[in-house]
Amino acid sequence: MADPRPTILIIEDEPAMRHFLRASFDLGGYKVIESPTGRRGSIDAGTHKPDLAIVDLGLPDLDGIDVIRNIRRWSPMPIIVLSARVYEQSKIEALDAGADDYLTKPFGVGELLARVRAALRHAVRSGSGESTLHFDDAVVDLDMRTASRSGEHIHLTPVEFRLLSTLAKHLGMVVTHRQLLTEVWGPTHERDTHYLRVYMKQLRGKLEIDPVRPRYLLTETGIGYRLISDG
Amino acid sequence: MRTRFDLVNIAMVYLLAVVIVALRFTRGPAITTSVLCVATFDFWFVPPRGRFTVDDAQYLLTFGIMLSVALIISRLVESVRGQAAAQAALEIETETERIRSALLASISHDLRTPLAVIAGASSSLVEGGERLSADDRQALAKSLFDQTRELSEHVAKVLQMTRLETGEMRLDRDWVSLNEVAGSVLARLRERIAAHRVIVELPDDLPLVRVDATLIEQVIANLLENAAKHTPAGTVVRLRAQRRDAELIVSVEDYSGGLADVDFARVFDKFHHGSLQGTSTGVGLGLPICRAIVRLHGGRVWAERVPAGGSAFRFTLPLEESPSVPMERAD
Repeated sequence: MADPRPTILIIEDEPAMRHFLRASFDLGGYKVIESPTGRRGSIDAGTHKPDLAIVDLGLPDLDGIDVIRNIRRWSPMPIIVLSARVYEQSKIEALDAGADDYLTKPFGVGELLARVRAALRHAVRSGSGESTLHFDDAVVDLDMRTASRSGEHIHLTPVEFRLLSTLAKHLGMVVTHRQLLTEVWGPTHERDTHYLRVYMKQLRGKLEIDPVRPRYLLTETGIGYRLISDG
Repeated sequence: MRTRFDLVNIAMVYLLAVVIVALRFTRGPAITTSVLCVATFDFWFVPPRGRFTVDDAQYLLTFGIMLSVALIISRLVESVRGQAAAQAALEIETETERIRSALLASISHDLRTPLAVIAGASSSLVEGGERLSADDRQALAKSLFDQTRELSEHVAKVLQMTRLETGEMRLDRDWVSLNEVAGSVLARLRERIAAHRVIVELPDDLPLVRVDATLIEQVIANLLENAAKHTPAGTVVRLRAQRRDAELIVSVEDYSGGLADVDFARVFDKFHHGSLQGTSTGVGLGLPICRAIVRLHGGRVWAERVPAGGSAFRFTLPLEESPSVPMERAD
């Protein structure tokens, strides 16, 4: 009963996909609960209180978005959605409805476990975020508001710091354009994507070794950005 | 004698009107016209004039003939029209059928290869089990993974082409930085273009474009993949963009001469797979998808030879005045 392993709820109608997910999570050392339908999954989320839920967006009985809303009504547990590539809009809807991250089918086990780890870490930190970020040999201290590369000072503007902090709060996870714009510039700017383009370019110019091939400040085309840290 | 001669001529004029109407319109108007003609002819020209009564019974024959001529001609016209329509429908059907079978042939060719590898590799794993060395198992599993992703790319392309062609695609435009799009394409294609030296030349002051980022990413990805597929490993592929007047020109260039005998005018056509073969796989939908997406954005797409003995695939995106971004005070 006292199983120390984190529990993952899989809400997915395809048996083969559930099988693959279960095998991957076994490999990663997680305990797994499987739900074949959206309704069943919404109930299982309540009774089993998992640490994280994987929700397929193409469920036959309920819209995946509704499942996310059902869970979000009472739980902040991390939710990762699975979706096909062509339907970008449904990913954004899912993220806006409260999902924490997404995976585009087909995906490999490495990607899956990395997302799950990032989401679980985020849940443990309960959104307080990492305070020190490493970009190759550059270090940013978000609490002290300082940045340097090999001891040399890097100047970051207040907006650049705010942008980095917002991304760092969701370290390893996607943050939508809307989320970033609302948190950094305020709700009246939630559609001003061009602000993000300009400031992300500045940040990459200061922190990435090769700004065109970023390793830390990643673009999620059409959706948002993701910050990866060396730890 | 004179009256009768006139009457015959007048009848002929009416008959001509009936024929013309029957030729140009359907049977309904033709019959109406012939009845009207008979009535007016009778009323105004056949004695006693000004009345619908008929003195000479032989005019009834004239009326009958006018009516039957209208009927016969309109039936003839209708059947000719019907044949023409059937012929046109048949031609469209043949063309659709041709495209469909070309698509099917192309898809089944490109899907069958990875499927065969997947079936083979997985059956080896199932049946070989412990007898396989760890290295062999690893290699088989790796090829399963690679071929599946290949397959998934093909299927995604077929789906996308279908959506583009049925006009189901809606552009989700927003301000986009080409630098970022290029960055995520390079990350996405990392393994597929690893054998080539990809050089990115994007000026620092490149303006933002208002496009559907996902689709433009697809265009650049398809062009880079295409270049990587058709040129020898180790050669240079260059992605560049420049502003020219009110548009942005994005190019993917190679210098290998590998595409020397390509028909540049037709390379973006669907199923123009022919001269692009060599080591290639792919449904041959990559470039047609590029064209459809770029046109949807109001741009142009073309291919041309570059002086250094390679080829360039270019597309344009119309530029709009980008809105200003509030700058922070430099401190």
